[in-house]
Amino acid sequence: MPKKYSIDVTPTPPRYPPVGKFEIERGENCINCGRCAIACLYDVHKRQEEDPRCMAEPVDYRCKGCFSCIQECPREALAIRENKEYPKLGDSYWTPEIISSNWYQAETGKIPVSGAGYRGPFSGEGFDSMWTDMSEIVRPTRDGIHGREYISTVVEIGRKLPAIKFDAIGEIASPTPPALSIPLPIIFNTPPFGRYGNVYEAMAKAASYLGTFMIVDPDEWFKSEENREGGIGNRGHTSHLIPHISHLTPHTFEADLIKTCKMVELEYEEDVLGMVNEAKKLSPGTIVSVRVPFGDNVEKIVEELTYAGVEVIHLYADVNGQTFKKSLIKNASQQTFRKSLFIKDMTLNVHRHLVDLKIRDEVTLIVSGGIAMAEHVAKSIVCGADLTAIDLPLLIALECRYCKECLNNQTFKKSLIGNAPQAPQSCPIELKNANPEWGAKRIINLIGAWRNQLLEVLGAMGLREVRRLRGEVGRAIFIEEIEKETFDKVFVSPQYIK
Amino acid sequence: MISPAIKIASSRFPNEISEIEVKRDVSKCINCGTCAKVCPFGVHERKTGYNRVSKPLSYLCIGTSCEDNPFYCVNRCPRNALSLDISSEYSTIGDYRWTRDLIIGTWKQAETGMPLKGRRYEIGNSGGGFDRIFFNFPKDEDGIEDEDISTGIELNRRKGKKISIEVPFYGGGMSFGSVSLSVMLARAKAARAWGTFTCTGEGGYPEKLKEYDDNVITQVATGLFGVMEDTIQRVKIVEFKYAQGAKPGLGGHLLGDKVTPEVARMREAVLGSSLFSPFPFHSVYSVEDHKKHVDWIKEINPDAIVSVKVSTPTDVDMVAVGSYYAGANIIHLDGSYGGTGAAPDIAKKNIAMPIEYAIPKVHEFLKEQGMRDKMTLIASGGIRTAHDAAKAIALGADGVVIGTAELVALGCVRCGNCESGRGCPRGIATTDPELSRAVDVEWGAQRLINLYAAWRSEIVEVLRRFGMRSVKELVGRYDCLCYVDITRRK
Repeated sequence: MPKKYSIDVTPTPPRYPPVGKFEIERGENCINCGRCAIACLYDVHKRQEEDPRCMAEPVDYRCKGCFSCIQECPREALAIRENKEYPKLGDSYWTPEIISSNWYQAETGKIPVSGAGYRGPFSGEGFDSMWTDMSEIVRPTRDGIHGREYISTVVEIGRKLPAIKFDAIGEIASPTPPALSIPLPIIFNTPPFGRYGNVYEAMAKAASYLGTFMIVDPDEWFKSEENREGGIGNRGHTSHLIPHISHLTPHTFEADLIKTCKMVELEYEEDVLGMVNEAKKLSPGTIVSVRVPFGDNVEKIVEELTYAGVEVIHLYADVNGQTFKKSLIKNASQQTFRKSLFIKDMTLNVHRHLVDLKIRDEVTLIVSGGIAMAEHVAKSIVCGADLTAIDLPLLIALECRYCKECLNNQTFKKSLIGNAPQAPQSCPIELKNANPEWGAKRIINLIGAWRNQLLEVLGAMGLREVRRLRGEVGRAIFIEEIEKETFDKVFVSPQYIK
Repeated sequence: MISPAIKIASSRFPNEISEIEVKRDVSKCINCGTCAKVCPFGVHERKTGYNRVSKPLSYLCIGTSCEDNPFYCVNRCPRNALSLDISSEYSTIGDYRWTRDLIIGTWKQAETGMPLKGRRYEIGNSGGGFDRIFFNFPKDEDGIEDEDISTGIELNRRKGKKISIEVPFYGGGMSFGSVSLSVMLARAKAARAWGTFTCTGEGGYPEKLKEYDDNVITQVATGLFGVMEDTIQRVKIVEFKYAQGAKPGLGGHLLGDKVTPEVARMREAVLGSSLFSPFPFHSVYSVEDHKKHVDWIKEINPDAIVSVKVSTPTDVDMVAVGSYYAGANIIHLDGSYGGTGAAPDIAKKNIAMPIEYAIPKVHEFLKEQGMRDKMTLIASGGIRTAHDAAKAIALGADGVVIGTAELVALGCVRCGNCESGRGCPRGIATTDPELSRAVDVEWGAQRLINLYAAWRSEIVEVLRRFGMRSVKELVGRYDCLCYVDITRRK
């Protein structure tokens, strides 16, 4: 039995006070009695250090919204409201709840736990339109998180042979394609912004510790490393890199990369197969992945690539999980409009297409775009992905608020060429200055918490291996199907709100 | 018909959170006391012997709907010192499932025992399930008197001792450890007053609950903590907990430092050592194994009826039928959105299906298999209001189990920090000696008695409008419900 894989987490506090959900205001009629300090269990209220006769300003971000101080204050001097900055975190997909939950996980490495039931909407778009199943009595389940029975999160990247041929003396005669085994179904994608040397370094350190891989843009990676007189080879993380090569040129640097790395990724274009062959010629032992956008015709492209012998396909959607395929939707007033399909539905389509052709195991599918929470990893796999690649959560682990100031600023600067230079908007958490050691710990914590949540989901289903979850749509409850199955018997026809 | 006395049980906090904030500008107020004289709701008061008017009790104010009344304090104040505003607490409290109005409404019910009118006190804002299901009330009423309407249900529909409850709901399992002893006692007192049940959860049977034996359900869960022959013989209902909605398929874990001498004794465990409650029953992998457990209980206590608590996977209907063959009397479905104790967020949100789907699924399947009238179907996990309860019954349940609503009645604000740090900041879900002092048993029992009274009145009102004389008539009456498709709203 191989050594148990586990992720050691270390509490790693943020560098800046996080944006809390609540704001506490102390009114002027406060009599400094200190009742609030007794009522509060979270150290929001304290006396001033320099003058203990007075109460200090409340430390808002620690507030957990229990309302005890508000209700206990003999003078009604305290008021609570939602912090105005809180709803500004992220956007409608990367909600403030998702961002602060990931912060918590990056700080503590713990699974978010809370009491008194679920508090969110009944269901929603995309990943929120499905639930995962559990097994009740007859199927034995495993308790992975408390360590008594081991649940494996190992996944393989590479082609799986449908059958193996043996020669006369019993040796394997089939050519064995290269394969990588990684201990968890998560690799790191190139982040959409914030690609600073220190960020890459934190990611690389974390990937190396976790035993997973990170996809990097070799130009950027090389440049930033060179600036610091290291070069990738010297840092010992090369074995965890997947260079993403957009155009194969006879550049020696790229050839070297292909030879030194266990896996490379090529951008999909018309003649991609030629490039794949060339890369394979340079280094037959290197796994070559092709990066394909989730767009029109993606099923056909994946089919062709698989038939042509491509081992790994990385399907990507945008940062919000919206694919580049639009479908026509009718709204209430019978107007048709085009709407992007969500990554979960497209993953299902591709997976089912390959299953129908009986070639699903010949290719590994990596899916990325919009993976924002641990549950999205499990749900992507249920829908047919072998593993997922994540990007923005890595930056969130490094305290990013996804305020998009840096993005807006870049486009702003571009539009102002020739004009007076605008003062650059500063990143509120100065991502550029984050210490890579600190960053690596935060990323490791986040992934540790995500993996434990994946174990919870697998344990509830009675699965002992994440590989068995792939494409197991019977282990999921889709809202359209369950409504049809149950509510169609109950309600004759839905009525409209008048 | 039992009808315990309703007594006002005000909030235990000096400042109750309310929708309206009555503001008094102290620089303008001359303490004339006009407001105290005019307000019939007791918002303003000038205590005898005091020169000043007390601070306004905002939560008693009926808001701007008071405007046209001759006693509207804002108009009557000679100095224009009074104004009404939406309070900042009101804007901050609540979430999609338990909106601010549901929380404050439950508090009002617990304080006064009066039913509340208005959609905002009936549904939440989750955009699905019960929040999209409404009643199809007929236009005309039959004119049945409230006194003629029965809300009682029978819990055992198989052979054996009959057990009925006066209201179609009882309290869910909350263990000693997950809530304080005062909370357990308050629940037991309220259950006895209303002729219904409360449940010990998996954490032993505190001595002090003994006098409520006839109204207590004791739980046998996967860790078998605190399960003793004696406790099983004492009760009328024994509940097997296979899984719970908040964390379906996951084990429980009580941290070592929460295993205090008291907890350790009751759970027959070692002081200070972490306790795991595994998932699932490691001795039950088939209906036969399941039957063995049920038989064991019936051997020890032949009069007991057995309830089987399961969560809601896709094959929940099969599980229900399996429980029937194992000899269970009650199948208790615990939906995924409920639960009171701390659970991983990922489990609460994602694992297993919401109760709204599970009820008709099981109801239909039991009918098909010809055993619906032998099994009592109880639903829980997301029953927030009396209206949710009535909807669950119309979807096919016989009755419901409530948990969070009771905690809210005792002052929970659903902040969700049951487990962090020292424990529940509201003194409910904790055994911290200092924190748990916040809930007084008598006060808590009265709050729950009031809540039950309000719920019962609301259920009676639903039945009256449908022209039904018993809540049993409502079971599975899909025609009483309509499903509003918000996505197709015009």
